[in-house]
Amino acid sequence: MVKNYLMIAWRNLVKNKIFSLINIAGLSIGLACAMLILLYVKDEVSFDRFHKNVNNIYRIVSKSKHAGVEYKDCNTGFLQGPGFAKNVPGIETFVRIESGAEDIKSGTEIQSQELLRVDPVFFTVFTFPLLNGNAATCLSEPNSIVMSEDFAKKQFGTSDAVGKIVMLKDNNQFVPFKVTAVAKRCPQNSSIKFDVLLPFKESEADAQNKDNWFNFSLNTFLVLNPKANLQTIENQMQNFYVQDASETFKAMIKKYDIGADTGMGTYFLQSFTNMHMNTELPPQNGLVNASNPMYSYILSGIALFILLIACINFVNLTVARSLKRSKEIGIRKVIGGDRKQLIIQFLGESFLLCLMAFSVALLMVQLILPLFNDLANKALSFSYLFDAGLIAGYLVLLLLTALLAGFYPALVLSGYKPVETLYGRINLSGKSYLQKSLVVLQFALASFLIIATLTIYRQFNYLTKTDLGYDDSNIVAVNKQQLKHSEAAYFKAELVKNPNIVDVAARNGGYWGTNAKLFNDSTISFDYETIDESYIPALKIPVIAGRNFSRAYPSDSTNSILVNESFVKKAGWKNPIGETVNFFYYNNEIYKVIGVVKDYHYQDLNQKIGPQLFTMKNGNLFGTFNIKIKPGTATESLKFIQKTFKHDFPLSPYSYIFKDDQRIKDYESEAKWKQIILFGAVLTIFISCIGLFGLSVLSAERRTKEIGIRKVLGASVKSVVTTLSRDFLILVLIALITAIPLAWMAANKWLQNYPYRISLDWWLFVLASFLVILVALTTVISQAIRVAVANPVKSLRTE
Amino acid sequence: MIQLKGIFKWVNSGGNRVFLLKDINLTIKEGEFISIMGPSGSGKSTLLNVVGMLDDFNEGEYNFIGQPVHQLKEKHRAQLYKSHIGFVFQAYHLIDELTVYENIETPLLYQNVKSSERQAIVADILDRFNIVGKKDLFPAQLSGGQQQLVGVARALVAKPKLILADEPTGNLNTKQGTEIMELFKQLNEEDGVTIIQATHSEKNAAYGSKIINLLDGRVEK
Repeated sequence: MVKNYLMIAWRNLVKNKIFSLINIAGLSIGLACAMLILLYVKDEVSFDRFHKNVNNIYRIVSKSKHAGVEYKDCNTGFLQGPGFAKNVPGIETFVRIESGAEDIKSGTEIQSQELLRVDPVFFTVFTFPLLNGNAATCLSEPNSIVMSEDFAKKQFGTSDAVGKIVMLKDNNQFVPFKVTAVAKRCPQNSSIKFDVLLPFKESEADAQNKDNWFNFSLNTFLVLNPKANLQTIENQMQNFYVQDASETFKAMIKKYDIGADTGMGTYFLQSFTNMHMNTELPPQNGLVNASNPMYSYILSGIALFILLIACINFVNLTVARSLKRSKEIGIRKVIGGDRKQLIIQFLGESFLLCLMAFSVALLMVQLILPLFNDLANKALSFSYLFDAGLIAGYLVLLLLTALLAGFYPALVLSGYKPVETLYGRINLSGKSYLQKSLVVLQFALASFLIIATLTIYRQFNYLTKTDLGYDDSNIVAVNKQQLKHSEAAYFKAELVKNPNIVDVAARNGGYWGTNAKLFNDSTISFDYETIDESYIPALKIPVIAGRNFSRAYPSDSTNSILVNESFVKKAGWKNPIGETVNFFYYNNEIYKVIGVVKDYHYQDLNQKIGPQLFTMKNGNLFGTFNIKIKPGTATESLKFIQKTFKHDFPLSPYSYIFKDDQRIKDYESEAKWKQIILFGAVLTIFISCIGLFGLSVLSAERRTKEIGIRKVLGASVKSVVTTLSRDFLILVLIALITAIPLAWMAANKWLQNYPYRISLDWWLFVLASFLVILVALTTVISQAIRVAVANPVKSLRTE
Repeated sequence: MIQLKGIFKWVNSGGNRVFLLKDINLTIKEGEFISIMGPSGSGKSTLLNVVGMLDDFNEGEYNFIGQPVHQLKEKHRAQLYKSHIGFVFQAYHLIDELTVYENIETPLLYQNVKSSERQAIVADILDRFNIVGKKDLFPAQLSGGQQQLVGVARALVAKPKLILADEPTGNLNTKQGTEIMELFKQLNEEDGVTIIQATHSEKNAAYGSKIINLLDGRVEK
């Protein structure tokens, strides 16, 4: 029996090539998407679970209230780990992980290397297998270093590196560190990743200084006794903290003039496995791969959309094609088949089709995995697929798809009455509301995604192309940490000797922010920039009042400041020049405003422009050079800059980036979204259209006689084409009417995330509608024309 | 074997009741060969479908080998006709996607006959109908007469007590038609199969042991 079913299913597939192709294409794309998402989700939920002791590992986190708003913090200071471990029963041990970067010298080459400083128990708490070395003792000695096999190979050309020496910069001079262990590469689903580990460094004075309760700079993990009660431990931790740190806290509130409503905060524990997808308490500060579950949801959503649309194709085409199969159904019933047997037969057919689609999908997954990895920021590999759970998941997916696509048609087809089908009395030209609603649903989803794509594209364009208020073209940014003003001036003088170098401007590294008091005693918080006199002119930032810094005024390098428009606005100044700002953190130093610059986007456009203050104060160190070069001289200029840098700062690592490239990098996540949604939209509209094509073929076939009669009665080709296309276009229009308000709401909501954003113009929706209609019309019209130009005599005779 | 008492069947068309069958009273004994005659639209096919339980009737009583069909549920009725009745159609109604062999085998598949037994039965019938050489062909590769031969073979393969044939020779030429009628006669006489056929042709009707004339859904006395 089964053989018979499969045989007829196979013959049907081969006989109706167009429909088999449409269904297999659609379903395989849908299945491939769903498989990728399963893979993705599996990877997400497997994060960090490879550690043997994972269920007993927790991270110390805290929450605190400030001005009525609750903040959560996943960082801790030096003291939390040892303090809690010593004083709270049930805590077995602690590991602190502090991220940092040090310069490593190999030969004459100096490179800045990111690394983690960890407590010696690191390898007994976490399961990172060692290739060589002793897990228990490799981090006990101060000048020991543990490296990954990849890093060892890079450094020494072999992973057998235990006992070798690395020169590492410590307190401004290179010191030998001995390799004590080489670890295997960290699994890709790990929140802790390292190339270099150093023992955690803490002086006796640091360990005694209670200020270090509040110097949040690292992650602390605790290992709990499996029998311990989490709630009890958290309570005891809090008690100890309050008892040990209250005095210090009170003193700090006073010293830094923090609002009296600020509480001490509450410590609690976050389980290790909870970290990866937690957006409030993410893995950060040396821990990596923070993931927003939103990403998973949207990816899964799109994959399900696509699979759903492919299933809709199957349902619609199978039901629409049932006229042709109704005779077979009638015969089967008359010669003894009952409904159950027929349902099984049709399910078998959908299963066979899904199985074929499934095989194609497997191939597709293998092909598009690299692209997907890139989009989803993953390192998934095909071998990952061979996992019992995942295979079970795929089989369930296959069965569900076959059922979803096959069940309704099987029910409809098996319900035909034999007399009606055998005597041609069956009426299949009914309203078929279901088919129509499904087509509407498909095109609504496709339209939604197209509008989403257009919105994201425009916003992305806006983010990357908008005038930032300054000129970032032809500027090379070179980092140099801990740079004194005199060193910067010397370097600049060396560089500008080259005619290709237009100007050199120095600025502090990273982003600083602080608070200060205004004359009327109100506090203002702002972004705090230390620059030299070239910075404003080199970046072409307009000065709208007063003047730029100048070396001609000695006071400019002591107590003069520039501020931006937002600062003036926030301070409420009518006449900013000559106003003063009190830096109470720094011994109440008073600064005087000498100029105001126009607001410009000093951070990426995801941040609102806030108050900004510039100083040229001698004591503040620089961290970055912005070197303006002549257009078209990039290669020579870069060579020259590198040479000069190596000469002037032989002990510092050199790296550069063009400032306008940096801008593109700032929007990497938007760029990824852009691609993902684009793929989703293209696939959705493609699958919807091949479905629509199938339906139009069937409709044209079914209406051959009607069209023949119309033509005999004098209808023109044009009117026939209109008649045939109209029904489908009406469906597409309904889909658009449904999708546009929803897409508008979603796009609007998404844009709210951006302080600087495009407006949702009406033409965007018109354009999207036009695109959808155009694609749908192109799909349908070929069939309409084919029928319309056919000779009516022929069609009427065959009827 | 078959008793029809006061069978009425009608459809409502635009507020009017149109009678397809009117007060049909018939008794057919096992082993009879009945021909139903009448012009197009006289109700021949409808009557056959009612007898074959493919179609409902609105009024009256129908007993089939002692079972009151008018009282049976759909499921039981289907059970009844599947095990006792074979159908032959004017348009042959073979399954286009199956070969001759598979077409004949299908009824046995639905009755869960074992594979070896199935092979024996099908081989037997192919042999008897002289179509062994055609067993791997598809219906489209056969002439009309051959197709109808396969249709009859399929109707017989499950060993029914009754064969209902709706204009079995309607699409065939005279020679092919005669062959099929001879076959029916042989089945009726040698195997004792009860046959009811609907036909236009006086000549074919004469093969039957009894002729019933229908006009406008009524039996003409």
